[in-house]
Amino acid sequence: MRKGHHIGLVPAYLLAGLVLIYASYILPRLLPGDFVTAMYSSSHVALTADQEDQIRAHYSHGEGFSRFLVNLLTLNWGYSYAFLTPVSGLILGALPWTLLLLGSAHAISMFFGFIAGVEAAWRRGGYLEKAGVGCMTVLEGMPEIGTGVALLLVFALYLEWFPPSGAETAYAMSSPLGRIWDVARHLVLPLSTLVLAYFPGNFLLTRASMVMVLRAQFVQTARAKGLPPARVRYAHAARNALLPMVTRFGLRIAFMITGALVVENIYSYPGLGTLLFNAIAMRDLPLIQGIVLFSSLLVLFINLALEYVYGWIDPRVDYAY
Amino acid sequence: MKRSMTKLGCVFFIAGIYISSIAPAAASQTREIRIADSRGDWGYPNPYRHYPRGPGYIRMSWVFDTLIWKDQNGYIPALAASWSYDPGKMTFTFKLNPKATWHDGQPLTADDVVFTIEYFKRHPYAWITVKDLDRAEAEDRRTVSIYLSRPYAPFLSDIGGTMPTLPKHIWKDVENPAKYNDPKAFIGSGPYIFRNFDKTKGTYLYEAFKEYYQGRPRADRLIYVRSAKPLVSLATGEVDLANIKPDMAEPLRQQGLAVIQDERGWNKKLMINHSRSPFNDKRLRTALAYAINRQEIIDKSHRGLAAPASYGLLSIDHEMYNPKTPTYPYSPAKACELIESAGYRKGPDGYLVRDGRPLKIELLSSNITVAGERVADRDGEVIKKQLAAIGIQVDLVNMEQATTDSRVKNWQFDLAVSGHGGLCGDPRMLNEMISSQYGAGSVNSARYDADPELNRLMEDQMREMDPEKRKAIVFRIQQIYAQDLPAISLYYPDSMAAYNPGKGIRWYYTKGGISKGIPIPQNKMSLIK
Repeated sequence: MRKGHHIGLVPAYLLAGLVLIYASYILPRLLPGDFVTAMYSSSHVALTADQEDQIRAHYSHGEGFSRFLVNLLTLNWGYSYAFLTPVSGLILGALPWTLLLLGSAHAISMFFGFIAGVEAAWRRGGYLEKAGVGCMTVLEGMPEIGTGVALLLVFALYLEWFPPSGAETAYAMSSPLGRIWDVARHLVLPLSTLVLAYFPGNFLLTRASMVMVLRAQFVQTARAKGLPPARVRYAHAARNALLPMVTRFGLRIAFMITGALVVENIYSYPGLGTLLFNAIAMRDLPLIQGIVLFSSLLVLFINLALEYVYGWIDPRVDYAY
Repeated sequence: MKRSMTKLGCVFFIAGIYISSIAPAAASQTREIRIADSRGDWGYPNPYRHYPRGPGYIRMSWVFDTLIWKDQNGYIPALAASWSYDPGKMTFTFKLNPKATWHDGQPLTADDVVFTIEYFKRHPYAWITVKDLDRAEAEDRRTVSIYLSRPYAPFLSDIGGTMPTLPKHIWKDVENPAKYNDPKAFIGSGPYIFRNFDKTKGTYLYEAFKEYYQGRPRADRLIYVRSAKPLVSLATGEVDLANIKPDMAEPLRQQGLAVIQDERGWNKKLMINHSRSPFNDKRLRTALAYAINRQEIIDKSHRGLAAPASYGLLSIDHEMYNPKTPTYPYSPAKACELIESAGYRKGPDGYLVRDGRPLKIELLSSNITVAGERVADRDGEVIKKQLAAIGIQVDLVNMEQATTDSRVKNWQFDLAVSGHGGLCGDPRMLNEMISSQYGAGSVNSARYDADPELNRLMEDQMREMDPEKRKAIVFRIQQIYAQDLPAISLYYPDSMAAYNPGKGIRWYYTKGGISKGIPIPQNKMSLIK
């Protein structure tokens, strides 16, 4: 029965995927303005009406949805208007940096947020817990643009500990080891900004669900059995507080692509957010469609995967169907 | 345990020494220049693939040379060592520099120039117009004559100083230049060889072309990096040159950086929809000019770091600027008088009404500024307040730039704050920014064709090869434009850049702007002479 339920999910997700593909095809086309207007109308080149028509004809985007779908399935994601190179190459070029920055920010803030949340709930009522909750609530309210600029000014401009922009020193002629060091140094400030932004939410969520779990009778039983406190906390209680965190992770993936736009901008860090932002400003339709589609399919895939993870973390989820 | 810790410490120590030794060694071998740019990507640096904006042209200009070029004083030789004009034959003759070669070692000859013009006729390059060129002929290996089909006054600026020369041996078989993506598409005759464009990071790498005919470039490597905070990048030594906001000038000077300021070649402009009521009435446009206090905009929105613009569009620093261009000193009383003469009366709430309908307009705001940069300003708010003071209700709308642009293009607006450069370049710019014949595709063009005399003068200035006579025509164009007011130039924001003088290179702003008037201080001659 459980197996059947999972198989039943697949057609539903396929349908959702099709809807997303259509949305990413049609929505960018509804943007006011077009590539030629965005690119040329306020440029150094004043086009005559004839020239403008010629250029516009070159970029006419008349392909229908069925053609779009076929191209998609044959892995032909089109050519960017602005770069005149394949869209897939542009996305794959930006993806590693997005994964590096956002992946590590999520991983760090989830792991440490979870641990800190569990420990705080365990010490409920103590000074440390009260101070932690207070600080995290304040931090949760701070926008990334504030912390980002503050970190930039202190650690890049005044102390000069870390470089202020980019993902690595452009065209540095260094060894592989030197390059890793360089990339790590460039990562510190944007990563810290994102961790500061994500950590408090994870902390508060874990703490709240953990407080509920700690009241449960099985925790008292575990304590009464004389198990070591750490084992009670993590093996017995914390596992039950994990579910909301996993849900949060699934929701956060949606922001993975564009979520770092502010931070990417402050630190001139490359990534899909900047690529999408510039593509929209230039009405580079194939590139917008490509990134929107890629990110929405990613969200869909992660959510499908999480359906399975839920059951693994907490078997009650499966029995609930 | 202790021993393994010691070992580990040694490894880190050696690694540390190794890493720290790389940086200085690299710095002494390669003398490189790093330039910051807030956006990063401007397309691949060849004529068919760079973005049609100043920074895109500049990136291409390192690789492709033109016949002549400009420095801070005016035209200088480039591929052409000398040039002359024969008015009888309507022919420009260029003697090419015999040392000029392409990056692949092939000699650059008159045939290449002839080919370039023919190629641009078949595959237009939007920066220049070749339709007034009849033909080009190679007189000998190093002499080329370009015959005009009719007089073309901006020839030296557009063809001489803007047209990149293409290598015939590479492009002769290329049928789709925009899709031509071979490394050979970047072989030029300029001082730098294009090596890399990282589209994700927005970085460019160029290497010096050591056999450059005007001498070996002073920096071995030229690198563009994206930096959203040029002040920080300059102050930390990450880059050597960047455009800066004028407020930053003093702190950077104190840090030992050199700060340079451009002539007034970029204006913030109020676009007016003169094709529909109420601003199809010249009295209302004139009333706007009187009602807008430009000094107040400069003081409140730009902390005084700008100068009021000429109402005649051409920069007050331009040699053809007409000092007798009409002006409209701030006078709300005169503005009210003009509006009332058009039949409007003040209603009980203080706002103007005609035939029971209030004078209510929409003002599109925008925050563009010099050299493709953006700055958050309050121009729209100040103008709204000033117009409200004389009884015009203003709905201030701030939208994303491409949306604003497309509304202006489609005449779906009353007023729009916009801006553009090129005001110090060839006066052909006047035609592009006034007439729909020349600038239909530009969101900054007033597209104003209602004045027959103005239309005739614009055509005349394109055909007048005598600079003095052309100047007289251009004077008159400015005068009529300032009287008709199809758009109102507001102010010239201070335009500045800062560089690190320790690198031994002196950057400057080019007279009249690079090529057609690009107000960016990245003139390739800074690295040559």
